[in-house]
Amino acid sequence: MSETITRGALLQRVSVWIGGGKSVIGPRQVKPANGSGQEVPVQYGRVASAEELLLSGDTRPANSLKEFFFPRHEKLYGYQFKGRQIELTDTEQPSTEQIIVGGRPCDAAALPVLDHLFNWDYRDETFNRRRELTTIVTIACRSFDSHCFCTSVGSSPVDARGSDVLLLAVDAERYEVRFVTEKGRRLLNGATTTANENATEPAAPPKRFEMEQLKEFLAGGYERPEWKTTTLRCLGCGACAYTCPTCHCFDIVDEGNAAGGLRARNWDACQFGLFTLHASGHNPRHNQAERQRQRIHHKFQIYPDKFGETLCTGCGNCTRNCPVGLGVLSVVEAIAAAPRENQSQK
Amino acid sequence: MQNELRQTCRRLLEEGTVQVVIGYGDGTDGQTFPTFVTRRDDVERLVWNERCYTNLATYLTRPEILALGKAAICVKACDERALVVLEKESQIDRSQLVVIGLACSTDGVKQPKCEACENRTPRWANVTIGDAAGETAKTTADRYAALQAFMQKTPDERMAYWKTELARCVKCYACRQVCPLCYCRQCIADKNRPVVISTSATLKGSFAWQITRAFHLGGRCIGCDECTRVCPAGIDLRLLNLSLARAAEENFNFRAGVDVEAEPIVGAYSERDREEFIR
Repeated sequence: MSETITRGALLQRVSVWIGGGKSVIGPRQVKPANGSGQEVPVQYGRVASAEELLLSGDTRPANSLKEFFFPRHEKLYGYQFKGRQIELTDTEQPSTEQIIVGGRPCDAAALPVLDHLFNWDYRDETFNRRRELTTIVTIACRSFDSHCFCTSVGSSPVDARGSDVLLLAVDAERYEVRFVTEKGRRLLNGATTTANENATEPAAPPKRFEMEQLKEFLAGGYERPEWKTTTLRCLGCGACAYTCPTCHCFDIVDEGNAAGGLRARNWDACQFGLFTLHASGHNPRHNQAERQRQRIHHKFQIYPDKFGETLCTGCGNCTRNCPVGLGVLSVVEAIAAAPRENQSQK
Repeated sequence: MQNELRQTCRRLLEEGTVQVVIGYGDGTDGQTFPTFVTRRDDVERLVWNERCYTNLATYLTRPEILALGKAAICVKACDERALVVLEKESQIDRSQLVVIGLACSTDGVKQPKCEACENRTPRWANVTIGDAAGETAKTTADRYAALQAFMQKTPDERMAYWKTELARCVKCYACRQVCPLCYCRQCIADKNRPVVISTSATLKGSFAWQITRAFHLGGRCIGCDECTRVCPAGIDLRLLNLSLARAAEENFNFRAGVDVEAEPIVGAYSERDREEFIR
């Protein structure tokens, strides 16, 4: 026996949530305001009506869900110069309830991974507050593309990690409902029916590399030439990091004038040359190969060593959004398959 | 055509004319990506098809690529214009570069920019591969058609449009990094002592960045539209570039990269300048 929900019943709930002042976030077509013929992406965003939601489970949004917990720009506090005194003003804590509908399992799975970081040596107030305020309904992926590699990092199209409810399409009108948390059960209470129907498990992308081989390479291959040969085309932008569900680096900046201003937390990315540039002018990571090496090490060695979790859910957004088709997958595939005899080569 | 390309590159590498060929390699799903061939046997990796989008000229000013030695670079006719500007701005030494021109088929590379394409065959390449028969002359109106359509909106509508679009800018700087003419070693957007352009991806910060970027490319942008193609947020940056390109054409009868003899409007000094203040 399983629970099912119709698309109509789900959308009706969405309308009620929106009407009740809750923030509903899901995949939607970014509408071009001019008909220039430019391809416009599907992105996660706050929807104004239930009709905007794309719930087929077929389109991978070009951004990730992290920005609804860890925004790209976040004011930490304000400051005003009052004579010789400085007056600080607190920012308002987030208070709007968020409901994510139609999230991808690879996006939701990133959130428990990020929980470690945001509760490490400091409990991040706003991140945790937003986590508490959010309920996540994911839809199992019905299709995958050549950039998807969730199965290579221990996940899958039906990974329920990080979700409160996971939906699997039974047909065009109905979903099988898998409740993951009590929060999820409360959210859809009364909207589901018990039926003797289970969705067929969707096809999963093929495994693209062996994690063990990758770890072995990372343990001994710091000086390997593959770092350079596989990343030569990297242009050094932040498209990979900013559309990644797990990348979380940030910079703290002050913005203001002689009267006052604000201190904010802005996203930052390890592929920028400025990221590690010292005030002295020295840069410990000289080139893109070294920056790409750092990125892969952080995801598959440093973060796992520290928190026991891989900092990658295999969503493939890095490759999809890369101007030159480079991403975690192409680098990792190349190094995991690299011949072992050179492993100790320095 | 692809074979001819590979043979040409093999010869260049064999003869030692160049140490590296900057070209297109095969990716997944028929996509292509920039590739750097340094060994003659690797020329088989090179491809030429309608999905060779990248303007490879952006690699000519990168230290990692310069370190590989003398280069041959594959360019489409639209990309080639970047070489003209880079040379005028003393960023490349044409004598130290072999340019392999790739003529586009009638279908072009199927990007919005191709609609206004007026020459599909590179003009100043050392070697040109293929020929694009049946080129159609384009008028000024064709070139700025997308901008013209946009300018039919009222100023308020246009401002509303940019507010919606730039609200999605995450400041990943893909537009800057992919641009063959954004070669500054230190971008003004990275200047932090003091900060000149807010690094915040807020409406204010994103307007400041995109307006500055467009102005720095005024009279320089060659219209390869790479910034627009790579934007992960799907922002039509082309409209900003077209606006400045049209201003350069209307006011100075200048189009960046189309005339090897023409002096750049920004960066050239003339005693016959019509403005008093500069003489």
